[in-house]
Amino acid sequence: MKGHSRFERSLRWYPMDWRNRYGDELVALLEDTYGDRPLPLRCRLSLVRAGAGEWLSGSGAEPDRDGRRQQVRSGSLLVLCAWSVFVVAGAGFAKFAEHWDAVTPPTDRRLPAAAFGAVQGAALAGAVLVLVGAAVSLPAFVRSMRQGGWATIRLPVLRAVAVTSVTVLLTIGLVAWAHHLGPQQRQGALWPYAGAGAFWALAVVASIATCSAAAVAATRYLHLPLRVLRLEGTLAVMATVAMVAILAGTLVWWGALAASAPWFFGSGVVGSSASPVPPAMILCGSLMALALIAAVLGAGRVARSLTRVSAD
Amino acid sequence: MPRRRSQPDQALGRSNEPGVLILTSLASGPMHGYALAKDIEEFAGVTLGPGTLYGAITRLEERGLIEATAGDSRRRPYRITADGRAALAAVVRDMRAIADEGAARLRLRVLARDMITGHQPAPGFGRAR
Repeated sequence: MKGHSRFERSLRWYPMDWRNRYGDELVALLEDTYGDRPLPLRCRLSLVRAGAGEWLSGSGAEPDRDGRRQQVRSGSLLVLCAWSVFVVAGAGFAKFAEHWDAVTPPTDRRLPAAAFGAVQGAALAGAVLVLVGAAVSLPAFVRSMRQGGWATIRLPVLRAVAVTSVTVLLTIGLVAWAHHLGPQQRQGALWPYAGAGAFWALAVVASIATCSAAAVAATRYLHLPLRVLRLEGTLAVMATVAMVAILAGTLVWWGALAASAPWFFGSGVVGSSASPVPPAMILCGSLMALALIAAVLGAGRVARSLTRVSAD
Repeated sequence: MPRRRSQPDQALGRSNEPGVLILTSLASGPMHGYALAKDIEEFAGVTLGPGTLYGAITRLEERGLIEATAGDSRRRPYRITADGRAALAAVVRDMRAIADEGAARLRLRVLARDMITGHQPAPGFGRAR
């Protein structure tokens, strides 16, 4: 049928479990309703909204006890991946926001300072939550290694170790180089140094990505006791709250600075004019927003399954 | 103190909620998605989007208020369960109680009688705004 593939594409907004159970029926309904006509915008929006709702509710075929445990685990891992993206975006924001107070009038510093402090506090809390999550799953990880689990995670772990080692070496080299340069050269006047800095930033991103992939691979097959699983789920929800605070703090800081010291986003010369929406902030803000959406989806799945897991 | 009401399935909600419309439609017999949408459009004048319809079907099936019957897997008919009938009956009882109360307060019976006898009500009485 001409429109068949088009209708099947409409299912991409839904989680796999739901698609397996209701996907064919929904496609048949769309075929019967619209035939060869294009889907109206209203219908498309209805599908996007409903699909997002299914992700949040984590529905589909009603999962059994193991399925619910799996949902807590997969939701927590989704939050972990979102946190990794937040680390990248947050590092970009921290670099961009360096010395913001130097060009802001003292009378206008209170709100951006409070927002910046909230971002730092939430980031620290999030990092602690992730470390606690890693620590509580460590005994299960050790048990898994003793039982021959190394074979399943060897490749992603070795990849993460290799990329991280290169990043560490690059960091040492870059710091040593920077000691021989003047402030102007460090700020981008020396293009080889600027190029090396950009390459180092990419290496950091790759390192975070490969480490997250290794953590996901390692955690996916771990046999976590119910108590640990519940704790991991709770930590994931708390980390999502920290991400909400980070994004909110970033937006408040951005808005406050745009109102009181917009020149910070341009040349930095007090009193000069500049666009309050610099590309770097748009990039960081967009990354954070996308990561937060993923985190909320993961936390929603965790929260829904957590109560049922507890009742098992 | 408010009058004690029956305990309908709380998430079913008001009369125009998709769940109530679907249960009402299935009360007359099993139907698949497209037939449900058409039937609801006919008796309630409500057009449910495909996402809304299948979202409501998912919730109702999860709660055991409807169930899929054997048949074409692409146009699978659903039927109302005993729990679904009980939930719908509770909602209908509540809606009827509210409708009766509203009619009594609006004196709709008096209006109906007056229409039959040709009696003119007081100016402005019973007019919709």
